[in-house]
Amino acid sequence: MVEKVRTVEDVCCPFCGTLCDDLEIDVDLKTDQVVEVRNGCQIGTKKYFSSNPSDHRYTKPLIRKNGEHVEVSWDEAIDKAADILVNAQRPLLYGFSSTECEAQSKGVELAEILNAILDNTASVCHGPSLLAIQDVGASLATLGEIKNRADTIIFWGSNPVHAHPRHLSRYSDFIRGYFRTDGRNDRYIVVVDPRYTHTAQIADKYIKVNPSEDYELIQAIRAMLRGSDLDVKEVSGVPIESIKELVDILKSSNFGVVFFGMGLTQTLAHHRNVDTAIRLVTELNDYTKFILIPMRGHYNVTGANVVFTWNTGYAYSIDFSRGYPRYNPGEFSSVELLMRDEVDAALIVASDPGSNFPAAAVKNLFKHPLIAIEPHKTPTSVFADVVLPVAIAGIECEGTAYRMDTVPLRLRKVKDAPGECLSDKEILERLIEKVREKMGE
Amino acid sequence: MSLDNLILLTGRTISQGVALEGGKVTRENVRAAGICTFDADDFKKLDCLAGTPVKVITDYGEVLVYSTISEEGPHPGIIFIPMGPWANQLVNPSSQGCGTPTYKGIKAKVEVAKSGKVLNALELIGKLKEA
Ligand code: SF4
Repeated sequence: MVEKVRTVEDVCCPFCGTLCDDLEIDVDLKTDQVVEVRNGCQIGTKKYFSSNPSDHRYTKPLIRKNGEHVEVSWDEAIDKAADILVNAQRPLLYGFSSTECEAQSKGVELAEILNAILDNTASVCHGPSLLAIQDVGASLATLGEIKNRADTIIFWGSNPVHAHPRHLSRYSDFIRGYFRTDGRNDRYIVVVDPRYTHTAQIADKYIKVNPSEDYELIQAIRAMLRGSDLDVKEVSGVPIESIKELVDILKSSNFGVVFFGMGLTQTLAHHRNVDTAIRLVTELNDYTKFILIPMRGHYNVTGANVVFTWNTGYAYSIDFSRGYPRYNPGEFSSVELLMRDEVDAALIVASDPGSNFPAAAVKNLFKHPLIAIEPHKTPTSVFADVVLPVAIAGIECEGTAYRMDTVPLRLRKVKDAPGECLSDKEILERLIEKVREKMGE
Repeated sequence: MSLDNLILLTGRTISQGVALEGGKVTRENVRAAGICTFDADDFKKLDCLAGTPVKVITDYGEVLVYSTISEEGPHPGIIFIPMGPWANQLVNPSSQGCGTPTYKGIKAKVEVAKSGKVLNALELIGKLKEA
């Protein structure tokens, strides 16, 4: 029998921070298209299938002329993009979380040459977690450690059934580990959330907290842990008895983990929620081993933070306008800059702020020239002045990505990119070369 | 019919994740993210059929989305819109100085829509682009 497909094994899924590294992809030998994905969750599987050519996949560089996108050569597109960047006073380079580390590093180089603002998507998700960790430090561990040892797992403001679908089966819940031989039965799962989420529905204990009142609840837990009796019936909508029971469970566990998500970082108290959660975890270490891990969303947002840090000293929201890196989220973070209408041109790499930023910020983003390095039609790329079609990292080119616990894993190439697509790294290198030329360097 | 004093939460859902990988400019994305999920008892007060378009209004904007009943309830007083273009018409861009907008926990009210159509992602975001 003649083989019709080729199988690539041990593939890392480039979608969420769980970065599952056990996917198997079948690629049709004749058409070079993905025909089967094994082991992936629904979202990961879909990402592979959607890399096949379709009416929403870009295959040629585009420039907006008279209001319409027209196909142009790479040279023309790069020239136009470089023009936009060189002529801007305060260009923003944003995204980087859904691409590999070498491209991220090229992004830093370009930002430095342009004296630009450099930001990644942590700015709108786990930025507050980074701030909090910078404030008070954090006790962390790898997911392998958790799989083998953890017996008490708390998901706080995070709904992995939807956002990290295989997290529970690979690391934190159902999986059997060295000291957790009976998998799910050896672990006690707690979910804290205002909604009875699908994760809460499979937990051992669900704590319904009022929206935006997580800070008060964590402080109450800390107080009780220190032996204070609280003279109230409930805190943040949670009955005191339930908090007492939780404190006992936490104290008596062997190895506990707090996985926290946007429920802490995107509500009113932002990094203060995370500050106090970290302090709680530190104090729990007086009784037993406890650690915490942010549930990072984009598969390589952790990598973006790591790469930006080793290049500039800072993880996100970096301003190069004075020729050296300065860091001040709230001042140099993308949404705040856009709300002040400070940005006069933007280069978006592997991200879709058109969909994901608050409307008022998007409005200001669209006022100025916009370049998108993007594989698919998105509400950002459709309104961009220059679209540079890209090979999808982890599917059509190799690279490195960092899992949510900062373990670096190698992304594999399973097939060629359609049309004239280049990798993020190649595109950024060509932009750097052109920008240098135009700046007379 | 209308409901006041609701709290809006936003976030990832698996169908929204699948839809965005399947094409953000498709109708599938509207069905996945152009929706507002209600607590079952709250929804009864709206006195309409599930799927009826509703207008969600906050201090920061308003948007028309399809109504559905939550599978992750009960959560009286809370409505949920998956992250994406529709939710982002309503969220609070202020970060209280830390850089990250307040995407969750925003006061909202809801009215059953008498007219108008639920826009797709491009129509909705296109309105933000000045000609
Ligand atoms: S859980 Fe995340 S990394 Fe794993 S297959 Fe699903 S989307 Fe990919």
